Amino acid sequence: MSQASAQPARRAAAREAGRPPRLAVEGIVKKFSGTRVLDDVSFEILPGEVHALLGHNGSGKSTLIKCLANYYIPDGGRITVDGEGLSFAGPGDSARLGLRFVHQDLGLVDSCSVLDSMFLGRSFPTRFGVISWSTARESARLSLSRVGLQHLDLDSPIEELTPSQKTGVAIARALNTDASTEDAAAVLVLDEPTATLPAAEVENLLLIVDQVAAAGTAVLYVTHRLDEVFQVADRLTVLRDGVNVATRRVDEMTKDELIVTMVGYSIEKAERTDAVRERLPELLRVEGVRAGAVRDATFTVHEGEILGLAGLTGSGREEALGLIFGAHRRERGKVLLRGVELPAGDPASSIGHGVAYLPAERKTHGSILTLTAADNCSVTDVRRFFKRGFLRRSLEEEEVAAWFQRLQVKPLGAQGLAFGALSGGNQQKVLFAKWLRCKPSVLLFDEPTQGVDVGAQRELHELMREVAADGTGAVVSSSDLAELEAICDRVLVFRNGEVVAELTGDQIQEHEIAQWCLGRDVRAPEHVSHISDELTKDAS
Amino acid sequence: MTDKRRLSLGLDRYSGLWIWAALIVVFGVLRPDTFLTSTTLHSVAAQQAIVAILALGLVIPLATGVFDLSIGANVGFAAVFVTLLQSDHGLGMWSAIALTVLVSALIGAINGFVVVVLKVDSFIATLGSSSIVIATQTIVTKLQQPVPPPDAGWRSLTQTEFFGFQIIVVYMLALGLLLWWVLEYTPFGRYVYATGGNREAARLSGVRVDKLIFLSLVTSAVIGSIAGILYASRTAPSLTFGNTLLLPAFAAAFLGTTQLKPGKFNVWGTIIAIYALATGIKGLQLINNQRWLDDMFNGVALIGAVALAGARLRAAQHQRRIKAVEVDGGGSDADTGVLAGTHR
Repeated sequence: MSQASAQPARRAAAREAGRPPRLAVEGIVKKFSGTRVLDDVSFEILPGEVHALLGHNGSGKSTLIKCLANYYIPDGGRITVDGEGLSFAGPGDSARLGLRFVHQDLGLVDSCSVLDSMFLGRSFPTRFGVISWSTARESARLSLSRVGLQHLDLDSPIEELTPSQKTGVAIARALNTDASTEDAAAVLVLDEPTATLPAAEVENLLLIVDQVAAAGTAVLYVTHRLDEVFQVADRLTVLRDGVNVATRRVDEMTKDELIVTMVGYSIEKAERTDAVRERLPELLRVEGVRAGAVRDATFTVHEGEILGLAGLTGSGREEALGLIFGAHRRERGKVLLRGVELPAGDPASSIGHGVAYLPAERKTHGSILTLTAADNCSVTDVRRFFKRGFLRRSLEEEEVAAWFQRLQVKPLGAQGLAFGALSGGNQQKVLFAKWLRCKPSVLLFDEPTQGVDVGAQRELHELMREVAADGTGAVVSSSDLAELEAICDRVLVFRNGEVVAELTGDQIQEHEIAQWCLGRDVRAPEHVSHISDELTKDAS
Repeated sequence: MTDKRRLSLGLDRYSGLWIWAALIVVFGVLRPDTFLTSTTLHSVAAQQAIVAILALGLVIPLATGVFDLSIGANVGFAAVFVTLLQSDHGLGMWSAIALTVLVSALIGAINGFVVVVLKVDSFIATLGSSSIVIATQTIVTKLQQPVPPPDAGWRSLTQTEFFGFQIIVVYMLALGLLLWWVLEYTPFGRYVYATGGNREAARLSGVRVDKLIFLSLVTSAVIGSIAGILYASRTAPSLTFGNTLLLPAFAAAFLGTTQLKPGKFNVWGTIIAIYALATGIKGLQLINNQRWLDDMFNGVALIGAVALAGARLRAAQHQRRIKAVEVDGGGSDADTGVLAGTHR
């Protein structure tokens, strides 16, 4: 991903020197049962500034945002918007002052039209008590133009939009909650807007964020993805254990410095086995598999190797692992594990053959939120604990607890908690434990560290390397190219449903993979809008 | 977790037992002569046993995430069919019972086929099959109420006494024990709850969800059939009673989710719900014998208890969110609703 970006420069015009900050956070303290979750946190955001808020899970980011939203009342300190203090009288107050929030869960209804979505939660303009559709359209169009989406078809349902367009609609709606005021909102808080977006879509979203800031709105941008920070933000604030450890200009920092600041110690990339190892025997053979966006997937996976799959949205990369696993039927082709053909459309049988599949969508496909963490972990092979007519709970709990300890799942005793109550990183660890327990021959990991903080990501990467070192074959499909660079022995690039490149050794580098994803002829992009043009062209 | 909170959680989970005890005390004080008698105990136990069996039949499909609305029609059909086989066709009691259960299992299998293979939503599928079963019942009976067989063995199937209780109460408890074992102590039970929690995730984890859903609908049909057979033996078949049991059975199953294992369909919670309700109704009837009491009490209790349980669950989630922030700094999925609510 490009770190050079013209965006902050373009926005500079919107920021006049010496203008008062739009949002000022001064000495905020928040305690929970005596523990200081936020300890004297201060920073401010100028008009037209994109300010990134960074920090590990547990650093206090969420608490700070909830203070801004008036969901929590701070134990000390002040929050002012355009000089006016938040009274902490209820959520309405923060909205009245012009604070707007867009959460990762956008709160859009898939089947509603764009037009209806814009007016969800507030009233349609009326004329003589009847909805005035022409006024509504005009107003929606105006709101959408603030995020550069004025060309959207107002009648198309939300589900037909791309992920970044959906986020754009949610932002446009948040910015203009009251149709009568045409002023832009003072402060927009984006809470991990890109956590579930594919890489190509991220670029489009960043353009939207840029445009919002250019209109003079102060943007607080919360993210785990560090590359975005360098692309879109002017300044950043890093929280660690509830303390503001840095508020700095982005162009004064490198990514490595930023990581050190966030975690408090230096993290090195998981060690790469660059020396070409002796190739171990072939494990998995994928022959001419076709279905959906995948037109022809043919490749092999060897014992002890981590094979990466890269590709833009729509390239077939996102569907490949599910097809290999046999989550759905294949139109054509076959998958052989040590020469034995894996059936399609029968996950139970694939698992029986020794294949593990971690789907990309943790909440909808990967986990059962209503069950406990332990039950999620043991669901695949709970039969093993059925002895003499009874499920032996104590055996099960013992084994799960050992795995949780090995993977350092937090908090202690997480086994008994509802899966949904764990943080993203810990949920992912539980799902890793679930599959590793089964001692599979092949691991298929789809976006293995999506929405996971830096520390947990590092741990999961190490774990994958460990498992591969034991002779297991792993296939990792990821939109995070840095992740592929960090852990893969070999990377296959998908384009238009086919494998177009195989990268090994020194070729496995972010920019190299990115070029192959876009098409080999595209040079390293200088400019974000340029890259995003290419991306949209490629995706369509 | 503080002691205070643990205590209130206990009250939560066992609220049905507390209410049940309170009802017994209140009516015991108001009507000591008629309420606090073994006759009352035995009649409430026996009267509710059929509904309890039916409600237990619903626990497995509901926990799997599917509805079986045809269970009411199934009860009626089984009652009529098992009687006809004996009185009109001269079959022996056991062969009549076996054949009836078999036919009901077939109805369950058809439900399963429609839901799993034809992919019709279970609510619609079983609503439709319910109507088909009622039509079949009419064809079989020609709207004539069948005459119960004069056989003494047929009546003693349910009317034998066991420590003063009708044996049907024992059947109900035995079925409860069996289902409890299945749901809590077998892999099948774990798969049932996993499928009910997230069907696609369960499938991708290797649970054969289609087979499970099919089996759960066969199970409910068979249990419904047993309830119908016992009803016919106990009070003689009726052409219409089956569907009148549907609502109380569903009510009990849903009320059961507020007890013992909040948020989960479970066996003993369902049984507690049924008997706590029945005790209340019985007490009220002894004080003021009105026919509408039954339905009114059932309806109010269902809505009230489920609403209350929902509110408590939300409060518990709220606690957990704050706790998650303390322990872990948030970022948990339980958080997602919070901000979504504020920007709307």
